[in-house]
Amino acid sequence: MIRIEGLGKVAGETRILRGVSLEVEPRTVLGIIGPSGSGKTTLLRCMNGFERISEGALEAGGVRLEAGLGEKEYQRRVKLLRRQVGMVFQHFYLFPHLSVLGNISEAPVHVLRRPRVEVEAEARGLLETVGLAKSAGRYPESLSGGEQQRVAIVRALAMRPEVLLFDEPTSALDPRRSNELAGTLRGLVGHGQTMVIVTHSMKFLEDVADRVLYMESGEAVELGDTAQILNDPQDPRTRDFVRHAD
Amino acid sequence: MKKCRLLLLCLLLFPTGAHAQAPLRWGADPSGGAPYVFSDPAHPDKYIGYELEMVEALAAAMNRRPEFIPTDWETIVTSLQRGEFDVVVNGLEPTEDRARVILFSKPYYIFQLQLTVRRNETRIQRLEDCRTRVVGTLGNTAASRLMEKEGIPFKGYADPVGAYRDLELGRVDAVLMDVPMEAFYARPNPKLKPAGEPFMRGAYVIGLRKGDAALKAEVDAGIDKIVRDGTLERILRKWNLWNDAQLDLRPKPAADGAPGESPPEEVKYEVTSASFNWAEALWRLTRAASVTVLLSLGAMVIAVTLGLGLAIGQSRGPSVVRFICTVYVEFFRGTPVLVQLLFLYFGLPLVGLAMPGWLTALVGLGLNYAAYESQVYRAALDAVPKGQYEAAYALGMSPVLAFRRIVLPQALRIALPPMTNDFVSLFKDTSVAFAISVWELATAYRELANASGEFMLLGAIVSAFYLLMSLPLAHLARRLELRLQRRQALRAVEAEVAG
Repeated sequence: MIRIEGLGKVAGETRILRGVSLEVEPRTVLGIIGPSGSGKTTLLRCMNGFERISEGALEAGGVRLEAGLGEKEYQRRVKLLRRQVGMVFQHFYLFPHLSVLGNISEAPVHVLRRPRVEVEAEARGLLETVGLAKSAGRYPESLSGGEQQRVAIVRALAMRPEVLLFDEPTSALDPRRSNELAGTLRGLVGHGQTMVIVTHSMKFLEDVADRVLYMESGEAVELGDTAQILNDPQDPRTRDFVRHAD
Repeated sequence: MKKCRLLLLCLLLFPTGAHAQAPLRWGADPSGGAPYVFSDPAHPDKYIGYELEMVEALAAAMNRRPEFIPTDWETIVTSLQRGEFDVVVNGLEPTEDRARVILFSKPYYIFQLQLTVRRNETRIQRLEDCRTRVVGTLGNTAASRLMEKEGIPFKGYADPVGAYRDLELGRVDAVLMDVPMEAFYARPNPKLKPAGEPFMRGAYVIGLRKGDAALKAEVDAGIDKIVRDGTLERILRKWNLWNDAQLDLRPKPAADGAPGESPPEEVKYEVTSASFNWAEALWRLTRAASVTVLLSLGAMVIAVTLGLGLAIGQSRGPSVVRFICTVYVEFFRGTPVLVQLLFLYFGLPLVGLAMPGWLTALVGLGLNYAAYESQVYRAALDAVPKGQYEAAYALGMSPVLAFRRIVLPQALRIALPPMTNDFVSLFKDTSVAFAISVWELATAYRELANASGEFMLLGAIVSAFYLLMSLPLAHLARRLELRLQRRQALRAVEAEVAG
């Protein structure tokens, strides 16, 4: 469950986000689209505390961030928030000095202080679901881009987050890999995962998203069911973007 | 006397005649060289000393112009052989090992040894009482050879100043030196006192190259002359070095009334000498090598720990910390390590912090190398991509945990090759510790080679020691580095095969 109320972000003189309000129901996938510089990645980064919000409030996984909080309290809540909100980066950022299994179990063992044996067993199970059961002992640099992405997803999942954020997950994938990823993500939703995905690919959204948000110039222009936004956008700005997309 | 006046007249009338002869080039070590030959504290550009005055008198007697070549005591015999000067006049004692490589003149001074202790010392009365303590002395002297023979632990210094200073500071418990040095350096010091009476007897002679027999005859005649005509006695009295022992140098009045013809070199002086013992030398080199190894290891531990702290402080700390770290790094990189060691060794005791030599070397090298290591780590830390931090934070890691588990291991891997180079170079740099009398491998080489003249063979052995230690180190580091690089690839292949 994510709830965003009148969220604004100002960096120096520049206003990046203004008055963004939305809700993401549990076990659903929200896709965010919009032209470059529309603030969609910044919005995503607000959701796990990488960007501090300047106005309004944001609630995810039961943790509430408010613009008016003192710095110390804000950081304390960000820490809690990050245990509930996982992130899969555009460039994955796997840890090159750790094996696949090490990448996945590092945070559960050292942040959640769960027993390594238990964490590793769970990690192997997760790897199996993404078809990487045999790669547990390999190192990131020996993996293909698609494999690295699946490891990054499993790494985030191993923290059992309520919400999973994706930044441009299809940017490095060919259409077939993109379809496979969509399948994987739908499988996760089936298991109860809530997700927010920033992407440029309409085709991909069609396959995975329940609802889609169109953003422009730091504003949430239109939010609706995937089919409605992609096929019958109400706002002229959305219509213009969708027509020229893909 | 008449003859002498005639000679003086000649000198006055024909000053150029005196200079027509080749100059008498003589070598001595003026650093800490009082009262033999040393820089005049009042006119540091000028040398003074009783031996300087004696050589002037001797040269005059030989109708030559003296020319002083300052040199280094430890290598003085080698320098003589290399022809940098013609004679050594530096309180040189005739020993068997030196006799094999150079000629000796007649003795010109009878010296004795004096043991010195701290003013409040009660346990040490004689050298015998020092069996379980460490006695300071000059390397490769009668005193050091005596203690070697008697099995008394001693520490060799390059100059008497350092030895007496360390006695004051409690780094050694006693100092054994020739009386002239003791008279000049220790007796005026209120914190020190002599233990017992002067003992043993040895002679100072002038050293000449083998084959310079003609010069030796000339020098011997000159010594006879200044002994006989009282010039030498006058000089020694002036320097407060005259004692009755010197009378032994006088030609004995023969019964038949022919004075001055019985040569004084027949007098048997009690001179300790140790001929070169290879087995013992190798054993000492091995011990010195272990000192070198321990020094490098200890210094590296300090360098790595402190260097890491500096790197973190310099790249992550608040501006004050950053400034302090930068000043530290620039200071230690911008000044010679030798100067730093000398400062730590001689400077710190002035503010009440006296460390033994080995500890000073260990700490000094560690502090110095920390500055270099910090830059290696800083570059390595900067080389870890920002995304690694973000990925760690996104997984809920605290900055400290992210640094320790994610960033540091990657940075260390990047830092490993330059660290290896630094360690090998630190290992060789331990040789500067000789400056503060640490008995490590390079000091051992200098001392043993000077004692034996075996520069080639000992040099080869010492080089072999260094290589034996540094080559495996470099090899090990290279393997570590390769393994880190290969591990991933190998594991990948293994995984494929297993799969």
